[in-house]
Amino acid sequence: MLSETSMEKRKADCNPDAVDKCIIGIQRQDSGALEEFYHRTSASVYGFALSVLKNTQDAEDIMHDFYVLVWSAADKYRPCGKPMAWVLTVTRNLCLQKIREYGKKSDIPQEDWENYISGNPNMTAEDRVILSECLRSLSDEERQIVMLHAVSGFKHREIARLLEMPLSTVLSKYNRAMKKLRKIYGGEQ
Amino acid sequence: MKIKEANENAKIKQAYTNAVPDICDVILSECGQEKGKVIIMTETGKKKNTVKYMMAAAGLVLMLGAGTLITNIYRLNFAVASTVSLDVNPSIQITVNEKEQVLDVKALNKDGGIVVGDMDFKGSDIEVTMNALIGSMLRKGYLNELANSILISVDNNDPAKGEMLQEKLTEKVNELLESDGFFGAVLGQTITESGDLQQLADQYGITQGKAQLIQQILEGTTGHTFEELAPLSINELNLIISTGRSEVEKVSSLGNASDKAYIGEEKAKETAFQHAGVSAQDIVYYEMDMDLEKGVMVYEIEFKCGGFEYEYDIDARTGKIVKNKKEIDDDMPAGAQKPASGADSGAGAKAPGTDSSGAGSSGSGTQSSAGNTGTSNHTGQNNTGSTGGSGSGAPLAGADQTASGIITLEQAKEIALNHAGQSASAVYFDKLELDHDDGKQKYEIEFISGNTEYEYDIDAVTGAVLKYDWDYDDDHNHAVAGGGAGAASAAITSDQAKEIALNHAGQSASSVYFDKVELDYDDGVQKYEIEFVSGNMEYEYEIDAATGAILKYEWDED
Repeated sequence: MLSETSMEKRKADCNPDAVDKCIIGIQRQDSGALEEFYHRTSASVYGFALSVLKNTQDAEDIMHDFYVLVWSAADKYRPCGKPMAWVLTVTRNLCLQKIREYGKKSDIPQEDWENYISGNPNMTAEDRVILSECLRSLSDEERQIVMLHAVSGFKHREIARLLEMPLSTVLSKYNRAMKKLRKIYGGEQ
Repeated sequence: MKIKEANENAKIKQAYTNAVPDICDVILSECGQEKGKVIIMTETGKKKNTVKYMMAAAGLVLMLGAGTLITNIYRLNFAVASTVSLDVNPSIQITVNEKEQVLDVKALNKDGGIVVGDMDFKGSDIEVTMNALIGSMLRKGYLNELANSILISVDNNDPAKGEMLQEKLTEKVNELLESDGFFGAVLGQTITESGDLQQLADQYGITQGKAQLIQQILEGTTGHTFEELAPLSINELNLIISTGRSEVEKVSSLGNASDKAYIGEEKAKETAFQHAGVSAQDIVYYEMDMDLEKGVMVYEIEFKCGGFEYEYDIDARTGKIVKNKKEIDDDMPAGAQKPASGADSGAGAKAPGTDSSGAGSSGSGTQSSAGNTGTSNHTGQNNTGSTGGSGSGAPLAGADQTASGIITLEQAKEIALNHAGQSASAVYFDKLELDHDDGKQKYEIEFISGNTEYEYDIDAVTGAVLKYDWDYDDDHNHAVAGGGAGAASAAITSDQAKEIALNHAGQSASSVYFDKVELDYDDGVQKYEIEFVSGNMEYEYEIDAATGAILKYEWDED
């Protein structure tokens, strides 16, 4: 078992080989591997779900479902050097399923994520500003692109494939989004 | 600039990372591995969520792993001798014991559930069960004139026994379908169980039987992926198999798959011939396959006429021409080609410019009857040229094509050669084709000079270079690497390699976004693989890490 500090180091480190190793461990039902997998990927899974659904409770639900699903269905995964693509594809499918569920009943509940963010003790003041602006100022697609690039380390080409958009669209949306965010940094710095 | 962006990305990453609620322990405990901590959920809201989580998870697991779970559970609890699965679009799995009495019937998808309904088959004879299920499929419209194919797969540890049962059932089902005054098509196979198959079946939510069928289709053909074929119905797969060139082993087939949902081969053929401006009696070679292109069922029609080889993909539902291609028929001996091409020159030259060729004022722009009448008033000159210049410089396009709004092949060749800085005498042309793809006509030109291969796509209307690719011959590189300082470590840095690529592309570092900069070891050569994007152009470079030479590059408009 990894110590707290070394686990901390691995937080959100999406190194493909390491993540692949975790999944192989999960296939052997090794809970340590699941824990490491969680630390490496949870920011991507939660971040993406939050980017899509803009609802912290739903994002948490998705994250939970995701890991339970991976634990029971990891044998469906075949290592191909791109575990994060798999992680995000599964996450995206879970999100789309959620949206369909809502679609049948009503709209996605509008939630006051600002309360959640301001009440989260793990976040610094700067974290709060950045995340709030991502959720407030960016369009859904812009936010997803920025998040996938910054948090999951996806190349724009990979983002284009995951989101089923042309590469040029991803690039222009990314650049526009970063410009918007830079304005905020500019105002702050 | 770059550093700033990296810094920004790091901050965004940190914000998202810190925002994640820590539910690691909840997950770990739910995944059956208590870590000595018991999470007591007191809030009712949370409790409800947990139930929801578990339900959702259970549902998902069931969806993903239905095949495995069901098969496994029953193998453990009952003496299952054979597993029979029926696929139409509804998928149903039947397990039987040694006496071929039904132990259980499971629907593997929603349609399967509708077919089974509330019928209980436990203890019934397998034939009676099949009878009832087929009857239900007919009544509920899953088997009909438009889609009449059914796949029966039998899995038995003893292959001989499995095969016997499969043959019996295939015949029985065929009989059933026929006696209903309906022409069905039955595919039968025995399954050789393998982990791979199970994995595929689970991944795509299909039966092992269908997975095996798809695998066999993939073995016999190229250009398809499992993913593409998985959503097709058995009828569509059956059409691909029955019209395909390669026999699918291990599958026995009775009856013909229905193509009544489609326009039919005759109609497709007519469309292709008309578009090519040829008439049926002049065709010297003809072949039709049904296939899947970009998720659409198409009639793939190939034929040869007048020294040209034509390929058409026709949307099987709409009859629209999805793709067409015309090239000089290499297989045909020069002697045979000559007289034929004379007769067909008008039609041949017309085809590439179909859209506007009607306006051709040179006199050769007659309708499709041109080939029919064996016209003699066409410009024989072009075609004599085309047969003579076999391979290296066949002018596919004549003067009347410029009238129809596209440049000639000669012009296209010149554009490519100029761009590559080569002269016609120094190169050998590998491929000269006028291709019609996505509604755009382009020349595909490939040539070789020294040890470099060049590939060009030239817009047939504007003459613009759409795409090009230069490739150094691998064999040559081996020799250089072996003899030279190949063993030395990378002599140039990644920054230098980037600079080389940027200079070559005429771009500056500030105007591009680097997608990939990687030092790779391939074919005994250490090289940098560099990819960057500027505007809507994608650039790919391979730079020799020892010499800094550009080994390969590709520009592509997205």
